Amino acid sequence: MSEAGSQPIKRTGQLRLTRFLPYLIVVVLLAVLPALIPSYVESIMTKVLIYAILAMSLDMIMGYTGLLSFGHAAYYGGAGYMTAILISKLGITSFWIVAPAGILMAGILAVIFGFISLRVSGIYFLLVTFALSMLLVSVATKFASITGGSDGLSNLPYPDLGFSFFTWNFTSYYYFVLIFFIICFFLMYRIVHSPFGKGLQGIRESESRMSSLGYNTWLYKYAIFIIGGLFAGVAGVLTTSHDGVIAPFHVGVTVSSLAMLICIIGGSGTLWGPVIGAAVIILVEYFSSLYIPARWPLVLGGMFILTVMFLRGGIALHLLNLWKKVSHGIHKN
Amino acid sequence: MDVELVVLNILNGISFGAVLFLLASGLSLIFGVMGILNLAHGALYMVGAFIGWTVAVKLGFNFWLGVLAGGAAAGLIGLIMERGFFRQIYKRFNEQVLLTFGILYVLTNLSLWIWGGVPKPPFTASILDVSFPLMGGAYSAARIAVTVIGVGLAAALWWLQAKTRVGAIVRAGMDDREMTMGLGINISLVATLVFCLGAFIAGASGVIGAHLFGVTLDLGLDILLLAIVVVVVGGTGSIQGALLGAMIIGLIISFGKALLPDLAMFLIYLVMIIILLVKPAGLLGRKI
Repeated sequence: MSEAGSQPIKRTGQLRLTRFLPYLIVVVLLAVLPALIPSYVESIMTKVLIYAILAMSLDMIMGYTGLLSFGHAAYYGGAGYMTAILISKLGITSFWIVAPAGILMAGILAVIFGFISLRVSGIYFLLVTFALSMLLVSVATKFASITGGSDGLSNLPYPDLGFSFFTWNFTSYYYFVLIFFIICFFLMYRIVHSPFGKGLQGIRESESRMSSLGYNTWLYKYAIFIIGGLFAGVAGVLTTSHDGVIAPFHVGVTVSSLAMLICIIGGSGTLWGPVIGAAVIILVEYFSSLYIPARWPLVLGGMFILTVMFLRGGIALHLLNLWKKVSHGIHKN
Repeated sequence: MDVELVVLNILNGISFGAVLFLLASGLSLIFGVMGILNLAHGALYMVGAFIGWTVAVKLGFNFWLGVLAGGAAAGLIGLIMERGFFRQIYKRFNEQVLLTFGILYVLTNLSLWIWGGVPKPPFTASILDVSFPLMGGAYSAARIAVTVIGVGLAAALWWLQAKTRVGAIVRAGMDDREMTMGLGINISLVATLVFCLGAFIAGASGVIGAHLFGVTLDLGLDILLLAIVVVVVGGTGSIQGALLGAMIIGLIISFGKALLPDLAMFLIYLVMIIILLVKPAGLLGRKI
């Protein structure tokens, strides 16, 4: 019998590869996608990636930490508005200024709103986050001279990167967003798999236990709320160029509930679940806009209902179970 | 602001509040008894309003028949909702949000399909379609009727809740569901009845409030938001709370629209947030 500690366990290169293989495959697929699809579908895929970032950011708060945030669009739209206002009203177009500014705005909103919201928990937390985002909607609608009122700001351009050796089109913007998506996914992955992330999951399971173990649970919750808000801000900045407009709608309950649905349908508590959820929802939206455009809310509402009734745990959970069955079957043989 | 305007706004606020109470009372009871925040409640109001319009205006029947029809339609939808979908979401809040929001989307889109996107004009009973002079302005009889109905229903519901056995059962179910079941009471039947009653009232109030709030597709969400604020401010699970909250919000809307037109909604959400931070169970509520 070998002595424990006499020989350190070596992580073989093969093991490392197996773990990251799925992610690598997906990245490669996403990278070659534009070659396989018509260019207007690329625009749809860009939207999928943007919403994936938004849903993942919510998942960190909701799925990993168990905080039911129903006002997440506030940070998404808030960042979008900041970017749009700088471009439209102040004439500052450089991406390197307006993007960080937008993300910073999202962070500031998360600092303020998070502090207020975390004074309560459970359904009241849900209601407060909701009310705060609706507050922001009314602010966005009211101060029309700055925000464009209920029509919002439009004609927002593609990012001004300061150099022009390529032109912006659906394809190049897709790759632009894809880079951000990969970076964000990587960062969020590191966060939720870190000790901090484990702490968050502990809080989700039993906050009182974590608290009695000596963890400052409030600080953990506050921190992830802000971090989630910042990533939502990234999505918000990216969406201004994709949609070309920003409006009170981007801050309100429609987007918040959509983000929540994507999270839950994809599988909250995993990071890649919301990505799948985003793909499902946005693609369903695209197809319904082709065939039954006026009935999209009906389809979406139906998806909300079906998810709750039949897809508990989301697609990710069912995929994982399927994977377990398959690999178990393989190992048995 | 002179005395006339103040009085007028107070009266307007009270009549707004009466309609809000009608809607919020159902929402509050459902939240208290079933632990479900029913975001589709506003949609029930809206469907009631459309059905009532169809019966009372398009087909030309009696207004009060329209009220009944609106209530019955909403009650039926409520029954389907409760029996079909609500079994498993007790206290599971993010699923409640999704489920009931989904129902809101579905009902709104179906209403769009059936009735079209053009809002119907406000309507009321023909005998109430008069105004009479009050303090230098004209005050509509319909508003007074709405207030009377609202207060009357408040009294009836309060009596039901406080003075009857059924009311005691409902209150017991709110306080301790399992214990109530342990006493041999079929709490799930009680919950269904409470839900259907709440839905009926929501649909009926859609018709009653039609001349104040109109008959539009936005009603589903707009009036829901107001009802949520009312329930939060006044307190969940109690009729008195819903009434108090409704009056406060009604007055804020009325004065807010007169004094600070665009900021009325902002004020309302601000009040909601303050209450949630200071007394989450609401002014007169029982904590859930």
